[in-house]
Amino acid sequence: MWGIFLESLVIFQNYVGFHQYRFLFVIYLVCLLYLWVAEKKKSFRAIFVYTPTILLLCFFNPLFRKAFVALLDDAETYYRLLWLLQMSMVSAYGAVKLFGRFRKTGLIVTGAAIVLCGSLVYRSEHITRAQNWYHLPAEAVEVADILKPAEGRVMAIVPADLVYYIRQYETAINMPYGREMLIARWDYYNDLYEAMERAEVIETASFTELTRNYGCDYVVLKKDRAVEEPLTDFGFILYAQTDNYLIYQDTEAGEQAGTGR
Amino acid sequence: MIQIMASVFWLLAIPFGIGLIPVHFLSERKKNPGITLLAGYLLMWAVFEVITVPAVLWIKYDNFQFVLRIFTAAAMLFAAAGIVVRYLGIARERSRNMYAKPLISYEKEYRPGIEAKTEWALFFIIVGFSLYMAVTRASFDGDDAYYVVQSLMAQQNGSMYKNLPYTGRSASLDVRHALAVFPMWIAFVAVQADLHATIVSHVVMPLILMPLTYLVFYEIAKILFAEKKENIPVFMIVMALFQLFGNVSIYTNETFFLTRTWQGKSVAGSFVIPMVFLLLLWIFDEKRKKGQDACFWIMLVCLHLTAGMCSSISVFLLVILLAVSAFCLMIVKRDIKAPLMLGATCIPSALYVLLYLLIK
Repeated sequence: MWGIFLESLVIFQNYVGFHQYRFLFVIYLVCLLYLWVAEKKKSFRAIFVYTPTILLLCFFNPLFRKAFVALLDDAETYYRLLWLLQMSMVSAYGAVKLFGRFRKTGLIVTGAAIVLCGSLVYRSEHITRAQNWYHLPAEAVEVADILKPAEGRVMAIVPADLVYYIRQYETAINMPYGREMLIARWDYYNDLYEAMERAEVIETASFTELTRNYGCDYVVLKKDRAVEEPLTDFGFILYAQTDNYLIYQDTEAGEQAGTGR
Repeated sequence: MIQIMASVFWLLAIPFGIGLIPVHFLSERKKNPGITLLAGYLLMWAVFEVITVPAVLWIKYDNFQFVLRIFTAAAMLFAAAGIVVRYLGIARERSRNMYAKPLISYEKEYRPGIEAKTEWALFFIIVGFSLYMAVTRASFDGDDAYYVVQSLMAQQNGSMYKNLPYTGRSASLDVRHALAVFPMWIAFVAVQADLHATIVSHVVMPLILMPLTYLVFYEIAKILFAEKKENIPVFMIVMALFQLFGNVSIYTNETFFLTRTWQGKSVAGSFVIPMVFLLLLWIFDEKRKKGQDACFWIMLVCLHLTAGMCSSISVFLLVILLAVSAFCLMIVKRDIKAPLMLGATCIPSALYVLLYLLIK
């Protein structure tokens, strides 16, 4: 039980950014405590004081966590229970109530506290300037446009950095493996992925045999990807290229599938 | 241009028309266009869930085409019914006065001074900045390879949940995701607006879902500060700042709200859960007259279906939140009837869980 409690504590710490020295949750706790003292209206007290407190206690309760995980068969999403606390809403209500008549001062103090204790979302490394209306990397769209069949479907193997994007642009492009291979903790195995991404140098003979087994019409490689022997020696042609990628077409596979360009 | 008009039609006009039905049951003082839109979205999403889930489970081929036809007809019908209810006498004098009221209903008795106006301006600048960033910045999230591709497959292939989004291979039904059909609603909007589903997800959805969420916050603020209305813009600014600076980890609902706005789970965290707070505040409003507003109960039932549409886990979260809130309200209000009724609204969620367990 103690172990489960500690797990919940770690989840909470990760959620609130404790190890990154983010302290928005301190603002939340202060506001919640203040509402415990100051909120007189019964229904507000039930919704903004008692409910979050009980939910917080539930979150740390090992028995509750065991039941939650057993019911949902999913331990990874336990942190979403913290969404029910609506930290921002309780904090905003508590802060505005706390400063009462001094709302201008209150706004400045609360705003400064949020800025100092929080982290601006647009500073995230995952956010970049959009290159097109799709919000996909321009080169991924360029590659997908080249691969896109006039009709039917094609199978293309692409480097890991394109895996997320190709099918967000065009679903007529099938892939022998997808995002599932890129999440290490999901622990999937795919021999073609091993040959494409894990090998320091692609062993062309066995690699092309695998691409044919998987029915790949196209192979997309990064220009700097080390290859034992050129793919063109194995029945592939250099079909197109972009700034960073070489797109090979397997003429034999294309004929077999009858869906190539 | 036609695409923009179609988007406005399906994302504003239709939900607003649908919202006129539940709002008909609302007492005069609570009626306003904001509530109408919120109620419309809840009812529309509930209808979408009810039509789409059976189609996913039991129609073998071209099931999205089926949903497209049926839901188009149903949405039009509901919106038309809403307009009929509003304009052709069923609503009568009571609802005819609705638009005599300004959008911000308290404006009648409360005229914001220069300070409050400045605060509102500041709030709108923050929200405008968020919307600008939503359009001009791309947010990478691995889950898009699943959800966005599901929407796109429905749009491009006309079928739902038949293929694995990561690879395109045929797949057995992934029940947990197949019951949460929010990506299919995005596909529906994409088809109707003749826009690529990825553009609808990444650009159009934030433009509608973010203001919709702030509308919920605003309605909550109106109740919390009914007697100190000058606090409303301050509350809204603090809320908006919390969203902007809430990225303390990748897990917070604030992070989801601004970086994964189009995903069902984000809608659950940022819209469905605050909506529970709003409905509870409405339902247990101490100033309410004896007869409860049927509108809120309809909205609560629809909220359960909306939660199911967003993600399977949000159904559980919603039930947990309602159970704890009902318990607390029962204690403080010494009233067992209303909490019991809250329990009764969980029937759609119970059916959802039952369905999930049966076909898992």
